[in-house]
Amino acid sequence: MMFSRRNIITYIIALAFILALNFLLPRMMPGDPLMAIYGEEALVAMTPQLKADLVERFALDQPLWRQFGAYILELCQGRLGYSYYYKAPVLSIVLGRLPWTMLLVGTALVLSTILGIVLGIESGWRRGLWTDRAMLAGLMSLNGFPDFFLGMVLLIVFGVTWGVFPLAGALTPYSGLTGWAAVLDAIKHLVLPVAALTLAHLSTNYLLTRNTMITVLKEPYMLTARAKGLSQGALKYRHAGRNSLLPVVTQTGIWTGRVVTGALLVELVFAYPGVGYLTYEAMMARDYPIIQGLFLVVAVVVLAVNFLVELFYTTLDPRIRGVNRAY
Amino acid sequence: MHINVTREIMGSGPARAGFTILLVMIAMALLAPLIAPFDPHDQSTAALLAPSMNHWLGTNHVGQDIWSRLVFGARTSLLVGFGVGVLATLLGTIFGVSAALIGGIYERIVMRLVDAFVVIPMVIVIILVAAYVKPTILVLIVLLALLNWQSGARIIWAQALSQKERKYVAAARSFGAGKFYIAWRHIVPALGPILLVDFIYGIRRAVFMEAGLAFLGITDPARVSWGMMMRDALSFSYLNVWQWWLLPTGIALSLTIVGLTFVGYGVEPIIDPRLRGVEVA
Repeated sequence: MMFSRRNIITYIIALAFILALNFLLPRMMPGDPLMAIYGEEALVAMTPQLKADLVERFALDQPLWRQFGAYILELCQGRLGYSYYYKAPVLSIVLGRLPWTMLLVGTALVLSTILGIVLGIESGWRRGLWTDRAMLAGLMSLNGFPDFFLGMVLLIVFGVTWGVFPLAGALTPYSGLTGWAAVLDAIKHLVLPVAALTLAHLSTNYLLTRNTMITVLKEPYMLTARAKGLSQGALKYRHAGRNSLLPVVTQTGIWTGRVVTGALLVELVFAYPGVGYLTYEAMMARDYPIIQGLFLVVAVVVLAVNFLVELFYTTLDPRIRGVNRAY
Repeated sequence: MHINVTREIMGSGPARAGFTILLVMIAMALLAPLIAPFDPHDQSTAALLAPSMNHWLGTNHVGQDIWSRLVFGARTSLLVGFGVGVLATLLGTIFGVSAALIGGIYERIVMRLVDAFVVIPMVIVIILVAAYVKPTILVLIVLLALLNWQSGARIIWAQALSQKERKYVAAARSFGAGKFYIAWRHIVPALGPILLVDFIYGIRRAVFMEAGLAFLGITDPARVSWGMMMRDALSFSYLNVWQWWLLPTGIALSLTIVGLTFVGYGVEPIIDPRLRGVEVA
């Protein structure tokens, strides 16, 4: 495994920045740091005893570097704070919501990757023909539609006007459904948000695949393959298509971050109970512990995905080993 | 890199279309007080009126004229877009070019930081900051620029490195030109087209993000913004008001972004000449 040290350092810096920001921001606010960490309402509800305990636990009466030590120690023990709004530990609230977002983002990622690649291959294969031009213009226009706007349009058309799909949430409340009926219910709730995300993020992979496809088609080995008398399908997918995949894989990391961000907004449209909707609720309630915890968990998850993708593609394509990242 | 940028843009159909859309939006933003029949904050009329001769797009939930708000919303989007575009391109140029020219430890530190920032999800960072600092439009522009220059800096750095090795730079150096002079008089002008692409995509990202953040409700509530209007409209999706409230706003936003995408697409072959189908050294 030739994963370069350079990349590992990059991720360490990114992680350090995230931790530092999460640590410094509340503590640099004017006024009582405890209030910036816990929020105004929580502070009113606290007993003096609890306040004193918290000041001690966060080492708030000590120099900054000691406070940072205390902060890291808390994190290592998996304590992200306590939400006085939800009356529960932050970690359990965030982890409770995370699966929904992962389901939403995961499904959208898989669908838009597959669709984007297939459309990109077909479009690049027909470069310059009207089908290619139509696809290019259509998908580039689609690229301009913010995911939350697409979500709202889908919600109004399929949810409100036609009533085909449910309007909000991830499950029908108090339905008492079990087994397959419950799964079906969850899928029904998933369709519109996933469609919004997939449509909005489809074009990234499409454009990448199409561009590489155009270059790959000029390669000598394509001529050889054609001369061998291979069928069109084999030429398109097995030879050209497969070689057009690499840029898509290398972009997946950065792109995942974008889809996660998109999911935050789409969840708000559909009141989908993932971390995005939680972010919104926490912002409205000024629930600082939740916001900090969310920031940390989401940022770390995105970093981890990026890291794994890079790890994956350095093994996938030996040419990248030891070379700087693409462009 | 001698490329006629004007010809490049005007030569492609989508780029021309995108350019036209942008001109319309810019005109709308600049002439907003002349085009808008009402003050965008004025609440003197009844709420949720349907479109009429008086109120072209009806009124919103607090009786503000939607068309006037749409027109003024263009100002916020474009101001944030251009502000971030200029600042981020400037930062990207400063760090990209200086890293390439100075080299050594400085280059390694700058590029390592750039790499690290590229993988951090920016919107999450802004949400955290916005939770503590209610961002005015100026703060938002600075914040978005600080988080958005890194990917551009990478491209600029790579190009500046290749420019640095060209003969004309060696010639200038042999005449005793300093690093700063070379950067300013030779490298930066040679990077022109790349800076333009970076600038356009910077604007696009910023317009996108401003709308998203306003939709989340974390921008300055006193400024009319398309994202905020869509958020307001969402609460009334069960009424038919979305047809003249949500749709025109969303379409104005999407058109702006599509316009920028198309212009960017027209200029992109400059960065990646393979897309043009002709090999350019």
